[in-house]
Amino acid sequence: MAYTLNHLQLGERGTIATFSDEQAGCKLMTMGILPGSEVKIVRKSPLGGAIYLKMDHQQFAIRNKEAECIMLK
Amino acid sequence: MYNAEVVLPLSKKQTVTIALFGNPNCGKSTVFNQLTGLRQQVGNFPGVTVDKKVGHLKLDNGSKVRLIDFPGTYSLYPTSQDEQVVLNILTNKENTHYPDLAVYVANVTNLEKHLLLFTQIRDLGIPILLVLNMADMAKKENIWYDTKALSKAFDVPVVAVSARDGDNFPQLKKELIQLIEDTPNTPDLFYQFSKAEQELAQDIQAKLSIANPYQALLIAQNSGRLPFLNPEERSLINDFIVGKGVNRLSLQVREVMQRYDRFTPMLKKAIKRPDGVGPTLTDKIDAVVTHRVWGPIIFFSLMLLVFQAIYSWSGYPMDLIDAGFAGLGDWVKGTLPEGWFRDLLTDGIIAGLGGILIFIPQIAILFLLISLLEEVGYMARAVFMFDNLMQKVGLNGRSIVALVSGAACAIPAVMSTRTISNWKERLISIMVTPFISCSARIPVYTVLIGFVVPVTATWGIFNAQGLAFMGLYLLGIVAALISAYILKQLLHSEERSFLMLEMPEYRMPVLKNVLLNVWEKVKTFTIEAGRIILLVSIVLWVLASYGPSNQMELAETRAVAIAQQKNLTELQTEDLIAANKIEASYAGHLGKFIEPAIRPLGFDWKIGIALITSFAAREVFVGTMATIYSIGSVEDEGSVRDRMAREKDPITGKPIYTFATSLSLLIFYVFAMMCMSTLAVVKRETNSWKWPIIQFLFMTGLAYLGSLLVYQIFK
Repeated sequence: MAYTLNHLQLGERGTIATFSDEQAGCKLMTMGILPGSEVKIVRKSPLGGAIYLKMDHQQFAIRNKEAECIMLK
Repeated sequence: MYNAEVVLPLSKKQTVTIALFGNPNCGKSTVFNQLTGLRQQVGNFPGVTVDKKVGHLKLDNGSKVRLIDFPGTYSLYPTSQDEQVVLNILTNKENTHYPDLAVYVANVTNLEKHLLLFTQIRDLGIPILLVLNMADMAKKENIWYDTKALSKAFDVPVVAVSARDGDNFPQLKKELIQLIEDTPNTPDLFYQFSKAEQELAQDIQAKLSIANPYQALLIAQNSGRLPFLNPEERSLINDFIVGKGVNRLSLQVREVMQRYDRFTPMLKKAIKRPDGVGPTLTDKIDAVVTHRVWGPIIFFSLMLLVFQAIYSWSGYPMDLIDAGFAGLGDWVKGTLPEGWFRDLLTDGIIAGLGGILIFIPQIAILFLLISLLEEVGYMARAVFMFDNLMQKVGLNGRSIVALVSGAACAIPAVMSTRTISNWKERLISIMVTPFISCSARIPVYTVLIGFVVPVTATWGIFNAQGLAFMGLYLLGIVAALISAYILKQLLHSEERSFLMLEMPEYRMPVLKNVLLNVWEKVKTFTIEAGRIILLVSIVLWVLASYGPSNQMELAETRAVAIAQQKNLTELQTEDLIAANKIEASYAGHLGKFIEPAIRPLGFDWKIGIALITSFAAREVFVGTMATIYSIGSVEDEGSVRDRMAREKDPITGKPIYTFATSLSLLIFYVFAMMCMSTLAVVKRETNSWKWPIIQFLFMTGLAYLGSLLVYQIFK
């Protein structure tokens, strides 16, 4: 079953399959967040709305809205 | 694959333009500061308010270099104004900023994420030097890399440096000389075009006479937002794209994927990092700093520190500047012969210059702290934590810094919004920050609050005046947030808002970067906003010192006659002359002229004069009141209040400063845009008169309505 990044629990890992929104996906890709990358959700923002991701040796903040368009394997 | 244009060898050019590119957080500005030091100017890229830093250096072969620091970006597919600037220039060879050479700065500890933009710029046929920055960090983390192998793989020169300590910069400069002296052959395209892309590029190359196929492809991809294309060219390009049956976004995705797919395996042989490391220092710090509870607590403590620093620490240097200019003014007054020139010099120019320089301590302190937080890597965390909250009112996590600093002074606060890359969010931050009660409003509040709330009144355990003060501050904050929300609905933006923020590793700040940033902000303010402030203060001086025909002289003679009649002391006489003169001046006439308009707010023409003169700065209200009520030589808040309390309406005989009038005046000062210096800075930061004018009308309009409402209810 296809599920998206925002379904992951804190501390869980997932591998990116594809992006459901091409524009957001393209921007994520230019930052190095690519299909095939393994990402981990480290924490949520104190007031909600955004998540803190860890990937390889980098960390990113993205909005829940943006996480929704990241499809996982 | 294609022929490069025949051009003059770079070593023969008078100045070689070199552009500095790289992703955000690659240490590009540190490289720039290392290369240029103080020989740099900061301005805007044409048409936008995106910082353009240009530095100059001379290389050992005698070549003069103009080094342009471009905004950090991840690719040539822009999602913000800063990134758009890079694309605009790189797709247009006619642009004066189009570089002869490129220096690409990449973070070697994370090289596989830093090469997308590099391969794009390389494909434009610009000779490029790949600089692997943070070699010191790589060493610490036991990352092995082979510059020779990288150089061979990408067919470009490569040099590893550590910009933080200037390590290996002589080598970097040698490589630049090499690039200048023997212009290298254009390497083959890194990106392999599909058949449709090839045809598309060829069509555009032919029509627009463009030598480089990748440049043509980029123009095709972005034709709608490139300012140098005319409407015919745009529709022509659209026809090409429709004709080829391609989709712009899919092409982008394909290009980005293919580039990664090509260079990732190439890197495997040239760079190796030890695997299986535990949590890094950054992980450990973030576990606390972005924690649900600790994160916001730490943030607000830091903001309290920022506020305290601008509000209180800047007091000493500000007092010194104030006293220094007052002393200078007195000295000039005592030295030069009496006359209009002396008055222009002392009351117009010296007072105006003092009014500009007085802001420097606040600007310097705020930017010292902000640059430190930015350099360390903290600001990205603040944005992450408050993005959700600020989004609701159309602001950005970084706007909080502006709003907090605005409580001390709107000027550095407005300048601090430059780090917000989304234009709409930045504009809203600029527009609403002046609603936050700044320190210049305090003297006005102090004088007036006594007429609204008696000193002795209490409300529970609290002092009622203290509560009223707090209420005024809250009113400003609420006004800021509501206006932000309204502006969010009104302003339309092409830019889609993303968070997608890389959180850099925590690093020790580079002091040179911090100090250069502070210096640059102070310089920009003094020169660019300063000249507007000086001009307006001279105009205000003329308004207050001159009157129509000989009315000023008549006012003086009259005052002297009254003084003799009443046997006043010399000081009292001077005060009376000053009071009569300001009434006879243009400012006085203007005050009387606007009286019908401000009557419904409960204000008389005397308050009208104070409203006009306090446009120089809100605290001038107190001084003007002192002059009007002929106690100019005393001028402290207490005596001004006492004198105002005795002021009676000449017709009704009732006190002027009733509860209703005073409250109405307070409300007016909470909302009104009564600060030419802020407007000057907003003009500079939005690059047009449009926004400061809208801001002035909007804030002053709101002040008028608020005061009208309050006065009509309570009178």
